[in-house]
Amino acid sequence: MKTVEQRLEEHLITAEPYYLVSGTEIEIALSAYKNGLPLLLKGPTGCGKTRFMQYLAWKLQRPLITVSCHDDLSTSDLVGRYLIRSGEAVWIDGPLTLAVRAGAICYLDEIVEARKDTTVVIHPLADDRRELPVEKLGELLTAPPEFMISVSYNPGYQSVLKDLKPSTRQRFVAISFDYPLPDQEVEIVCQEGGVEKELAHSLVKLAGMTRSLKESGLAEGASTRLLIQAGKLTQDGIDIHTACRVAIIEPLSDDPELLAALQEMVSSIF
Amino acid sequence: MKLAALSEQFYSLVSPDIPNEWDVEEVMEPFIETNDKVCEVILEHIPVIWPVSHSLCYDFLRQAPEALKHLSLEQLPHWVGVALDIYENDGLRTAQRFMQDGVENHLSRLKGSGGLALASVEKRLLPYIRGIARDELQIVPARETYTDTSTLYAPEEINLFHNNEQNFLLYKLIFTYQWGYIACGSFLARAPEGFPLFSNREDSLWLRAFLDSFTNPPLARDIYHLLESIRVKIFLHKELPGLMRAVSKLPFPLDLPLPMKNKANLFFASIQQGLTGDKTDLYTLLQPHLTPSECQRFLHGEATPQDSARLVPRLYSTLHNKDQDYIPFPPLPFQGRLKLRSVETARKVQKEKMGEQFVDLMAAHFLTLSQEKLKNILKDEERDSGGSGLAESDVSMIMDSEFAQTADQDKAAPLLVTINNEELEFPPELESFTRKFLDEFGQLPTRFITSAAGKAGEGMLRGDVGGQEEGEQQSTGTVVYDEWDYRRQGYRKNWCSLQLKELPQVHSPFIRNTLDKYHGLTLRLRHQFEMMRSQERFVKRQREGDDIDFDALVESLSDTQAGLPSSDRLFIRLKQDERDIAVLFLVDMSNSTSGWVNTALKESLVLMSEAMEVLGDRYGIYGFSGMRRSRCELFHVKHLTESYGERVKERISSIGPSEYTRMGPPIRHATRLLQEVDAKVRLIITLTDGKPEDYDDYKGDYAIEDTRHALLEAKVAGIHPFCITIDHQAHDYMEHMYGPANYIFVDNVRKLPLRMPEIYRTLTS
Ligand SMILES: Nc1ncnc2c1ncn2[C@@H]1O[C@H](COP(=O)(O)OP(=O)(O)OP(=O)(O)O)[C@@H](O)[C@H]1O
Ligand SMILES: [Mg+2]
Repeated sequence: MKTVEQRLEEHLITAEPYYLVSGTEIEIALSAYKNGLPLLLKGPTGCGKTRFMQYLAWKLQRPLITVSCHDDLSTSDLVGRYLIRSGEAVWIDGPLTLAVRAGAICYLDEIVEARKDTTVVIHPLADDRRELPVEKLGELLTAPPEFMISVSYNPGYQSVLKDLKPSTRQRFVAISFDYPLPDQEVEIVCQEGGVEKELAHSLVKLAGMTRSLKESGLAEGASTRLLIQAGKLTQDGIDIHTACRVAIIEPLSDDPELLAALQEMVSSIF
Repeated sequence: MKLAALSEQFYSLVSPDIPNEWDVEEVMEPFIETNDKVCEVILEHIPVIWPVSHSLCYDFLRQAPEALKHLSLEQLPHWVGVALDIYENDGLRTAQRFMQDGVENHLSRLKGSGGLALASVEKRLLPYIRGIARDELQIVPARETYTDTSTLYAPEEINLFHNNEQNFLLYKLIFTYQWGYIACGSFLARAPEGFPLFSNREDSLWLRAFLDSFTNPPLARDIYHLLESIRVKIFLHKELPGLMRAVSKLPFPLDLPLPMKNKANLFFASIQQGLTGDKTDLYTLLQPHLTPSECQRFLHGEATPQDSARLVPRLYSTLHNKDQDYIPFPPLPFQGRLKLRSVETARKVQKEKMGEQFVDLMAAHFLTLSQEKLKNILKDEERDSGGSGLAESDVSMIMDSEFAQTADQDKAAPLLVTINNEELEFPPELESFTRKFLDEFGQLPTRFITSAAGKAGEGMLRGDVGGQEEGEQQSTGTVVYDEWDYRRQGYRKNWCSLQLKELPQVHSPFIRNTLDKYHGLTLRLRHQFEMMRSQERFVKRQREGDDIDFDALVESLSDTQAGLPSSDRLFIRLKQDERDIAVLFLVDMSNSTSGWVNTALKESLVLMSEAMEVLGDRYGIYGFSGMRRSRCELFHVKHLTESYGERVKERISSIGPSEYTRMGPPIRHATRLLQEVDAKVRLIITLTDGKPEDYDDYKGDYAIEDTRHALLEAKVAGIHPFCITIDHQAHDYMEHMYGPANYIFVDNVRKLPLRMPEIYRTLTS
């Protein structure tokens, strides 16, 4: 039986991704990598988890294979399956198997979205065995030292409330992400949104305000990502009030009163 | 009314005082001709004003006839209220002046009811200001504008401008400006170098003692407040330029209601002009009073509250005039008043509140310690266990010497407390809370730690005796829940204690009778519910379908190659299957459900259960009742995973009317239970017969708002609440409480057993 060669180069990150370090996360991740420990990244949406992984992969010069988890994700979607090519059955490695074979970094984004029976396949990989059984092939792969598995999830998502099983959880080195500190966030928004420092500063201020509205019914405030997007719109000549409305305010809520209050913040700041 | 009668009435209203006869007659005389109704209303104010100031009371009576030419009787109390406020803030002269001159001015504010009501903008401005302040501030209507640092007070209505857009902007400016004073630290000025410290009692503000030390405190206060208003303006220009730009277009009427002959008034009037104008104006206006470098500091936003305090004596000495009374100059609407006493009170309240939270956190932390360590910490309490709680001296506690100052110093240094030689390190949550406390109040009184130790001691004690109580009551635990207080838009922490109880099992023919009675309906329901047992799912190895089943195809190809007959089941099809629903039924067991309602509720539960068994959805049943926040009760009938057996049936039979309907705690508990459940759809269905109500103050709007909030919390947790209300008619509050389409009312209780499964069916398919 044949297996299909998959191109790994496309997963290799050649240019240094822009990542602003906020603490000791890089040291911790490098040490985890050196010791063959899996990583768990937690934090609100759009706070730089994905970007961090890209940066780490670049720094380690390993390919980064990302899987966005969803509740239909099956074990074969991760491990691999047979396909038919010109009348022949060929085996295609799933992203996880691919990463193990190639000694790449496999990043499972939003792991809680996956069903629990799916997440268990990473168990033997994520402890000191570092093994992946590929049942259909009858193979037991042992991960090379270059391989790393990392997963992310957003503990603030109250609507999902699917939590990780303790047996899954307790295999990881956990790094907690949060929105960057104001000065750093300003720098990121400047860099990524291509805006002037002053504007970035105001955007960050707005974000800070939206992040303190939990009691008023806003579960999660504006993420760094939204600020960047608003910044980008203004670069195309869209007026700042409109940019904030469409890129920050409207995506946050549907509640008319809350929207009005957010709008008042925008008109105060800009 | 005769003069004698009027005087007599006056005397009786001010007794036991016996004022001079002539004075009384002089002020009462004008009322001889006045009609009795009006007299009555006017005289009603005497007991209000007299105790505050006799002169003011006479003045009121002198001015009232004139005032009533402009004011309606209904407006009179408000006018008096304003006068009293002025008296309390600025003394008799100003209040008298207000009564003499102020009627028209006062009226212009009251008139033209086309103004903008605070109530109508609060929903928008409350989240606004909370976002801006990043703090849970409150908004409360008041006669004057001011803040005590935790609440922002503003007039109930604004009609300074003809246009409500501008009035709205003024509201927005008022709240932002008042927050500005908080953000700029205006209330917390410390003594500048070389200034007297005054006796700085815990909780008292240096600033207040300082301003009170002048011969004319109102003047000193107004000077300081004005300087701070400049700082706030500069701060807001930097922080919220959009707002300040919009505001600069507001046409503030700068009419000068008071005689301008004195220096102080001129000073205030001119700087106020600067507050509504732009920066360059302000510079020119400040120049005559400040040195150039002081001007720079203020206008560049570098000045501190200490700078303002430092300037007060100098400005005071130039503005104070011994021979002339200082008549306070009315502040601009957004400046409001500086009320340092309110600030002190609010901070005390805040400190106690945070202290309580600290005690809870700390006590919880104590209880996580090892028995040995805990005993050690609490050993003093055991020694004199007769008393309840610890006296401060009972615990030998050495606070880390830096403990009180860590806020300013090294943030990274871990907090450490030593109690009875046991070193305690704070877990992160406690630590960050403690730091917040230190930031706010400078130091943490040791009494909070001792009372936490006391609380932990009680907890330990309770834990010890818990076992013996068993059997007497089938209580299976107590859970504490917060309650929503809409008046302050915040939670009352740990307000309700919900006791989890078992319902006794009773043997009775109830279930059998019900099933007999509704035999036909049950069969129909079972059939209907059977039809619902489905949800979408992919099934493999189908003859036809939406997608190719690769595994099957591969197998079939290999089979063909091996010369075996191949299968034609090569497709994947989307199939309806697997309902993934968990639902909790909460049944009102309040007293009002006695009789038919109770029977109908139980019958409905039986039919529901029968149908649910066919359907396979997970469901639980709980009854709720209780009395007061200290004893809310939740009765277990069926847990989510429990099977519908004899015991459950017997418990359903024993559901009966009990006490009151405090809806918040059971809903919150159900939410918590469902949060632990992994299901695609999670539902709470409440069955009740009317309004939430408890024996204590849990009534009316309060109860409705708490229930509504509990339901909101459920929604936030991704749970769908739904309510079935048995009532004769639908009420307005229902939609408010449950939200549109989230409730249904059943007007005929006898129909409930039929309606309930129907409702459930529509809800979940
Ligand atoms: N520390 C950082 N350095 C550089 N860019 C950052 C940083 N943090 C956030 N960003 C920017 O924010 C954007 C969003 O971040 P990212 O996509 O990594 O979020 P995420 O945490 O993965 O969010 P989600 O949970 O929604 O997937 C990035 O595209 C990047 O531009
Ligand atoms: Mg991501």
